[in-house]
Amino acid sequence: MERVMIITGSRKGIGRYLAEYYLERNITVIGCSRSESDLKHQKYEHYCLDVADEKAVQKLVRQTAKKYGKIDYLINNAGIASMNHSFLTPLSIVEKMFSTNVFGTFLFTRECAKIMSKKKFGRIVNMTTFAVPFKLEGEAVYAASKAAITVMAEALAREYADYGITVNTVAPPAVQTDLIAHVKKEKMDKLLQRQAIHRFGKAKDVANAIDFFLHDNSSMVTGQTVYLGGV
Amino acid sequence: MEKNEAIQIVIEAVKGYIDDENVPVNAETVLLGNNAVVDSIGLVNLIVDIESALAEKDIEVTLTSEDAMSRRKSPFRSVDTLSDYIIELSA
Repeated sequence: MERVMIITGSRKGIGRYLAEYYLERNITVIGCSRSESDLKHQKYEHYCLDVADEKAVQKLVRQTAKKYGKIDYLINNAGIASMNHSFLTPLSIVEKMFSTNVFGTFLFTRECAKIMSKKKFGRIVNMTTFAVPFKLEGEAVYAASKAAITVMAEALAREYADYGITVNTVAPPAVQTDLIAHVKKEKMDKLLQRQAIHRFGKAKDVANAIDFFLHDNSSMVTGQTVYLGGV
Repeated sequence: MEKNEAIQIVIEAVKGYIDDENVPVNAETVLLGNNAVVDSIGLVNLIVDIESALAEKDIEVTLTSEDAMSRRKSPFRSVDTLSDYIIELSA
């Protein structure tokens, strides 16, 4: 049976890896990002949008549902980070982070869950960060926005349980992506020492955890967060 | 959108949701409060079904707006008031 997946923030980084990974597994992937993607595949569609734009999100989800008759999986991957001392963090940056990380996740989750509820099946996976349990200084706002996602997932797991929809969260380990490109090596080394496994992870580690949440046999797995690398 | 069309969409959605031929559904059918034919979760599901039915007709609206939630008289009171609200949003 053909499966349909939406991945937000699929233009680069982990989102891009996941899009290619699931396309290889014969899943139809609908991706989105603020700008165009150069990913070309017969089973891939890309939308350019701001994930916090309610009307644009509704349009993407409804068009997908209309075209394919369902949405099986949603991966809320889109996220932005700004790592700085709070004294140096303007409110506009705080608003942007919450807008993309929290509001975007909420909008996609709500709209996709409406569609999934009709088929009594759905798998929603959010992305959080080890900055939440580590309470990393310099990442107060980023961690707060991701903590919001984690708690929201736990509550939505209950709201959606009767619809056959699970909601879970994955925290990637330290992965070398654009998100941490400007973080000093010493800081990253210190961070790796705090993980149970003291090395960088790879995007495939994230895909592996997501695979578990997406699996048809994982219908009892909901409201959970997996911190890869161990916290 | 004509009022009759909106009423029909809401009636079909209500009938589809409650799935009980013994319960008459018409413009006067109550959806919220005492005598409502659906409970609160039922109303949530109904709203989703109506939004989907409207989307099928290329009418993209969100029924659960801040405006709808803050009105002194809820537009979700009955089939009739909900139909009026749909017409208002789709105008």
